[in-house]
Amino acid sequence: MKKELSFEQALKRLEAITETLQKGGMNLEEMLALFEEGAALAKICHERLHKAELKLSEVQTMFEKDEESEESA
Amino acid sequence: MQVYTVAQITGYLRDVLESDGVLADIWISGEVSNLSGSSAGHLYFTLKDEASQMRCVLFNRKRLSVEMENGIAVVAHGRISLYEVSGAVQLYVDMIQPTGVGILHMEFERLKAKLAEEGLFEPARKRHLPAFPERIGIVTSPGGAVLHDITNIISRRYPLVELVLAPTTVQGESAVPGIINALNALNDRGDIDIIIIARGGGSIEDLWAFNDEKVARAIYSSKAPVISGVGHDTDFTIADFVADKRAPTPSAAAELAVPHRDEIETRLQNYIATMAASLSNSIQRHRQHADDLSATISTQVKNGISVNIEKLRGQELKLYSLSPLATLERGYALVQSHANGEVISNISQVERGDMIKVQVSDGQFNSRVTGSKKGLQS
Repeated sequence: MKKELSFEQALKRLEAITETLQKGGMNLEEMLALFEEGAALAKICHERLHKAELKLSEVQTMFEKDEESEESA
Repeated sequence: MQVYTVAQITGYLRDVLESDGVLADIWISGEVSNLSGSSAGHLYFTLKDEASQMRCVLFNRKRLSVEMENGIAVVAHGRISLYEVSGAVQLYVDMIQPTGVGILHMEFERLKAKLAEEGLFEPARKRHLPAFPERIGIVTSPGGAVLHDITNIISRRYPLVELVLAPTTVQGESAVPGIINALNALNDRGDIDIIIIARGGGSIEDLWAFNDEKVARAIYSSKAPVISGVGHDTDFTIADFVADKRAPTPSAAAELAVPHRDEIETRLQNYIATMAASLSNSIQRHRQHADDLSATISTQVKNGISVNIEKLRGQELKLYSLSPLATLERGYALVQSHANGEVISNISQVERGDMIKVQVSDGQFNSRVTGSKKGLQS
């Protein structure tokens, strides 16, 4: 499994695999391989959803200059 | 000594008047008199007070939000210029309101009408929000509860994102340049998927920066789609009209920005169930392997579907139980040709002496066919 897949890409790939399996028309080895890939993708998505921690960062704005005039909005 | 023509002087006066910033955008209060209309729909009148008077013309009667008659007190907005034909200085009115309506409210209505006419609020130009944003910019005050609320909600719903704060004051004199600067700082990065512009509730004066024309234009020209979340349930701000999506509060804006992970979990479960069912169906159709394999998978799929999503939440997905590997653990084997890896599902595929690979739960071994017999083993 490629680590660099974004969450959306992983979900899209999983969706595509599900559709391909639904259409059928391939041999058992191919289906098994697709199923395993899909199952692994589902697991990755699930884990990312539950293990991810929100990241916080900040861009530089002109705010610093007038910080003392900050109001609590 | 130079002598000018009248036209030269009226033209010069007109240029002087029109280059003045104050006269180009001005509110004047007074009493209406000498009201007359033209067949083309223009209105002419004089605004006067105790000491003086000024000619006014209104070209577009649609802008009238007041029944015009002589003697009423009004506040008119427009620009001052010189009508060269008569040499008269006059106010070219684009908005007129009865006095008594607050000036902020009038300015709000004027700007709203103007920007609507320019097309800034057109539904057709509103951009779609990406379904799975990776980076969300937040334009708000760094000190207040607003940022805290947004962070909490996104962390609970979809913690896969990076929130990028662009700090700014959101009220007072520095709010307008601050908000514009923060929007630009986020857009300059080029990697922001959605921008939330947010502020807690307040009076119309407190929220004034969100009714500013320059802020509206900055939102309009933002590269990333903008969600407005200005805490005021009932009233809209100009920022709300021009934003790609409007939320009534900062928290609601956060909810609009990201999907909910429970919904995604449900999707994942559906994919797995569909995949397993397809695999199972396919096996049945081709009568490959033993019927037991498909029966096992079907049962497990049904079990998988009937499991309450609530129960699955927070648990690891029990994927292995859906995988064919689990079937192998129960004593079944996958038989493949040693020569080409083909799955052996009937006896016609092998001959005595062929090498075969047998896959069981924890590994594989090679074997040689010593004979074959049609029919299922009893």
